[in-house]
Amino acid sequence: MKLTTEPHALLEMRSITKEFPGVKALSDVSITVRPAEIHAICGENGAGKSTLMKVLSGVYPTGTFTGEIWFRGQRVEFRDIRSSEQAGIAIIHQELALIPELSITENIFLGNEINHGGRIDWVAQKARALDLLARVGLDEDPDTQIKHLGVGKQQLVEIAKALVKEVKLLILDEPTAALNEDDSQHLLDLIRGLKGKGIASIMISHKLNEIEAVADQITIIRDGRAIETLDVHAGGVDEDRIIRGMVGRSLESRYPERTPSIGDVFFEVKDWTIQHPQVPERLVVKGSSFNVRRGEIVGIAGLMGAGRTELAMSIFGRSYGNYLSGTIVKDGQEIVLKDVESAIDHGLAYVSEDRKQLGLNLLDTIKRSIVAAKLTKIAKGGVIDDSQEFGIAEDYRKLLRIKTPSVDAGVSKLSGGNQQKVVLAKWMFTDPDLLILDEPTRGIDVGAKYEIYLIIQALAAQGKGVILISSELPELLGMADRIYTVFEGQITDNIPAHEANPEALMRSMTSAKKKANA
Amino acid sequence: MSTTANDPAAPKKGGLSDLRKVFGGGQSSLRQFGILGSLIVIILIFQIWTGGLTLSPTNLINVVNQYSYILILAIGMVMVIIMGHIDLSVGSVAAFTGIIVAKSMADWNLPWPWAILLGIAVGAAIGAWQGFWVAFIGVPAFIVTLAGMLIFRGGNQFIGQSTTTPVPQEFGIIGAGYLPELAVPLNFNVLTMILGVIGAGWIVWNEIRARRVQKKMGSEMAPVWVSIVKVVVLAGVILWAAWLFATGRPGTSFPISGIILVALVILYSFITNNTIFGRHIYAVGGNRIAATLSGVKDRRVDFFVMMNMSVLAAVAGMIYVARATASGPQDGNGWELDAIAAVFIGGAAVSGGIGTVIGSVIGGLVMAFLNNGLQLIGADADVVQIIKGLVLLFAVGVDVWSKSQGRPSILGIWGSRRKSRLEAQAPDEAPTVVPSSQSNLSSQPEDVTRR
Amino acid sequence: MKKITLAATALAAVAALALSGCSGGERGGDAGGASDAAGFAADSTIGVALPDKTSENWVLAGGLFEDGLEEAGFKGDVQYAPASNTVAEQQNQISAMVTNGAKVIVIGAKDGKQLGTQLQQAADAGVKIIAYDRLIENTENVDYYVAFDNFKVGQLQGQALLEGLEARSGHAAPWNIELFSGSPDDANSAVFFDGAMEVLQPKIDDGTLVVASGQTDIAQTATQGWEAENAQSRMDSILTSTYSSSDIDGVLSPNDNLARAIITSAKQAGKDISKITVTGQDSEVESVKSIMAGEQYSTINKDTTLLVEQTIKMIQQLQKGEEADVNDTEQYDNGVKVVPAYLLDPVIVTKENAAEAYANNPNLLEIVTAAQ
Repeated sequence: MKLTTEPHALLEMRSITKEFPGVKALSDVSITVRPAEIHAICGENGAGKSTLMKVLSGVYPTGTFTGEIWFRGQRVEFRDIRSSEQAGIAIIHQELALIPELSITENIFLGNEINHGGRIDWVAQKARALDLLARVGLDEDPDTQIKHLGVGKQQLVEIAKALVKEVKLLILDEPTAALNEDDSQHLLDLIRGLKGKGIASIMISHKLNEIEAVADQITIIRDGRAIETLDVHAGGVDEDRIIRGMVGRSLESRYPERTPSIGDVFFEVKDWTIQHPQVPERLVVKGSSFNVRRGEIVGIAGLMGAGRTELAMSIFGRSYGNYLSGTIVKDGQEIVLKDVESAIDHGLAYVSEDRKQLGLNLLDTIKRSIVAAKLTKIAKGGVIDDSQEFGIAEDYRKLLRIKTPSVDAGVSKLSGGNQQKVVLAKWMFTDPDLLILDEPTRGIDVGAKYEIYLIIQALAAQGKGVILISSELPELLGMADRIYTVFEGQITDNIPAHEANPEALMRSMTSAKKKANA
Repeated sequence: MSTTANDPAAPKKGGLSDLRKVFGGGQSSLRQFGILGSLIVIILIFQIWTGGLTLSPTNLINVVNQYSYILILAIGMVMVIIMGHIDLSVGSVAAFTGIIVAKSMADWNLPWPWAILLGIAVGAAIGAWQGFWVAFIGVPAFIVTLAGMLIFRGGNQFIGQSTTTPVPQEFGIIGAGYLPELAVPLNFNVLTMILGVIGAGWIVWNEIRARRVQKKMGSEMAPVWVSIVKVVVLAGVILWAAWLFATGRPGTSFPISGIILVALVILYSFITNNTIFGRHIYAVGGNRIAATLSGVKDRRVDFFVMMNMSVLAAVAGMIYVARATASGPQDGNGWELDAIAAVFIGGAAVSGGIGTVIGSVIGGLVMAFLNNGLQLIGADADVVQIIKGLVLLFAVGVDVWSKSQGRPSILGIWGSRRKSRLEAQAPDEAPTVVPSSQSNLSSQPEDVTRR
Repeated sequence: MKKITLAATALAAVAALALSGCSGGERGGDAGGASDAAGFAADSTIGVALPDKTSENWVLAGGLFEDGLEEAGFKGDVQYAPASNTVAEQQNQISAMVTNGAKVIVIGAKDGKQLGTQLQQAADAGVKIIAYDRLIENTENVDYYVAFDNFKVGQLQGQALLEGLEARSGHAAPWNIELFSGSPDDANSAVFFDGAMEVLQPKIDDGTLVVASGQTDIAQTATQGWEAENAQSRMDSILTSTYSSSDIDGVLSPNDNLARAIITSAKQAGKDISKITVTGQDSEVESVKSIMAGEQYSTINKDTTLLVEQTIKMIQQLQKGEEADVNDTEQYDNGVKVVPAYLLDPVIVTKENAAEAYANNPNLLEIVTAAQ
């Protein structure tokens, strides 16, 4: 931690600490960006990269975190995005923040209209827009509606929009995630070009080859801490070096000891192919096959957008996308799961990665949430047996140690870890043979994670199959018996956990070189 | 992070919390408890202001007769609103059913019991029609029922040729009828008192049963005296009300429309609280995606809730026609708004997922006694409307405001002491952010992106 | 021990409440009902339930009732039905008046066929009902009806239309006319229309008058809810469909509010309104101005002052225990019984006789003199 101002720094973030209830998202993070520098930030999912950028851009206003931000030699305190923009910092989000029904010009100047007493000067705006489009290398009529542009071009419009605001520092959050090779190349060229004009960039990306190609400095964040900053020009920085920084942490004692007792294959998915629900030509899952044995914890590793969740949800009663082909075999018999109800009836359970949006009804009580997925079990003739419901909820409260004064309390009152226990209880209550757990420990503090791991292991010990989807490689390595890697909707590898290491997994998660031998 | 298997803060049962559970448990019960308090306050204010007229037998009977059909609409409407929908067509559906029922008796000489069945069938058919568009085509309920409002208003005037069609006297029983007098030399309506005694008995029996269950499950019980006071007060209120209804003008008693209302309130409270279907309504309303991922067929729930609303609208329409002795072209004008107001005063949330049948009925009674009291003191109709509007705004506004201040409803303030005591015992883990206003932007600390 | 005391206290409190409820009971004897001939106290409450506040005449009547009843020593309780859920709210208002102990209730009904239950309630409580201006139907519990002779109103409107056509159209017969009637849920609508048609039908039959749109049935000519906008939109469509090339010479309008809407429509369609005869009724201020400006041709003066005076006179007779005066016991059959009625004579008003007709109405007289 350094407290002296570096004379040539454009931006300094000093000792930034940001806490969420129950979780320390950032802990004493400091980074320095010099003028006209491309500074990459690398880290696993959940390491705290986006949080750091939200702190910088004022999404989390001054006062909600500790630490200082110095920009162009001055201490700055941003109340909101607008005030950071006024200072010359623009953030370009992962999800594009453009309005599809408006034209390029309108979007570029949205909130920043050139006007005379409230009347928009369309002529000036259009002229300026043409100029900006030329700067970002986009050859389009400024009157074109955004919805007619592809994602790559939209990205460029976003950048044009940032340029209007006289930015000195551009923050790009996964700018090439949704782009094809050409568009990505064009964008990276543009970022380099802007650098030449004195505009610095902070770039968050999972694509390490791109980072290696354009970045001047690389800061690696892990578990909410800035681990190191690498100077690319000093040499010795390659993908392996970055990966080591990203994953290099010990696994000791964070995962409970376990002796697996693994039975036969009882669940198999073959040649599973799924269309994107809105864009039919996009195959989100392509010809994937995998299997699960009784008592086995099977990990699925993949980066954001690789298709892990889509794979899981499409198996779980086709709750995502359009089914194209593939079969599911359970206990030697082919089964067709047309909807969630039939999936539950066939002994599948899916714990969603997004507890609050997809997993729970936050308006409900603990007791009612626990029985929600299998009401028929406690009902006679459609009428729910109150005391049975209470008893069952109490049993799970004790079994899973859900910390609450009463099972009549609302689930919204619980901490993330306890909410997750309620979700697990809800699915355990359906008495599944196969549990698909999608990021079961996301947003949960370390202690609670340990308890969740215990529950998962106990379920496996009962002979149930568990599919564990996680972005945290150590978690997969610590918990799973076998790990599949997913890249762009395809299963690229199938590695027994004792043979796996983070570097190898990361390689299979970022390229399609190997084909799974499932 | 400490986890003791046996949490010391075990659920405490009985007493105030049980009284609150009369309103269905959930987190909104506090609010409804407050609404019940405001209802009592409003009644007392007008009781004094009108020199005792408000709680006179005649007036109570009037209130029941005058508002039972709105309250019946509120029962269906709360279910619609919990689902996150709205039904603007109820007034028109009621009027449409009314004219068909009236015509069926006047022109085709259908006996009145058959006419009632016909009315319910018409309601079900209309409901299936609207439910189909909402659930299976996916047109927002607001639009479907706005269309329904026009279609069935027009239908009423088309069939009735915009004139008023009288109904036979016997049909009047469901809207203006009373329990018969028994040939016994007692100076009150015996059947009404019998109903009152049954109600009071049910309260006593229910409490005894609850205590027995608590004992069996080993949960902590409220002291005996709390149960006794609770039972005595509740049963006393029921008996007292029954006595008032039984001692009105000879020939009057607890109205038949009131009995229909009470039966529907009990039935629908049961459905929403104790059945799978009821659970699914709250589940879909609270979080549709989470519900579908739990195996709930949300469209089916949409369909039946919309259909049910129209059936209840048909019932309300027939009761009104019976009371008005005729079906007219103006029937049902503005009823949807009264029903919606009742539901929101009764604690439902605009975004869905929250609300109870009993709360909505109490919300409706707040409006009813307000309206009635103001009419009794001779306030002008325009003043009455202004006051009703303000009450709606303030009731919901105060609730929203106090929620945003992180407090329970001000109206439910006396419940809050209990609540803070509970919170003092709450887990040592910090509670997570509130569900509503804050987006996941601020509540999720990771690099989360929604695809 | 303490707890038992507490429980006992609570029990006692509830019992006390119940007893107080008992004393509030109304079954002591047959308090209401029977006592016809006795009359009632001179300072009793008199309820007046009027249908709406959107027509000048009802507002005027309400004011006159308030003042008149107070002057006569009664406590007046004048209520207008609100704009939404009107019929039901008027029912509630009448119930509240009964609860409040009104001895006579004067009702200008919103829908005269939907008050049966409330009037039964009133009759059970011994309350006398006077139907004011609009007849109440399908119930035996209407004691009197007081109104202007509405059939005569219709006849006068028909005559005025014929006179106006002669004077204004600038050409001889045949004349093109259109017919409008009032709201179908108001019993008076048919009476007005029938009265007018008694005069007009023979002229239609002999070809003097031509209803070019062909809409001569009362259901076709109806104006739902007496709403001006409904009349205006119907007129708009008739002008578009039937009179885009020919001229319209006259319109039978049942009242002033609708007449003005019809005139607005004709003006917007570019018709020369000074050549078109539009009848009216009610002597509303705006219409009197319109008549003086040469637009609307005629209105009917049903002097609300006289009607209210007559009603109060009847209430006073009832107070003394007498029968109220009536001058018609045959004409007004409400479906259950013939309601005894007191009918006042209406007066037709055109530009020519306006000053004379409004002699005892200073407001209107001022408008008339100012215009002349």
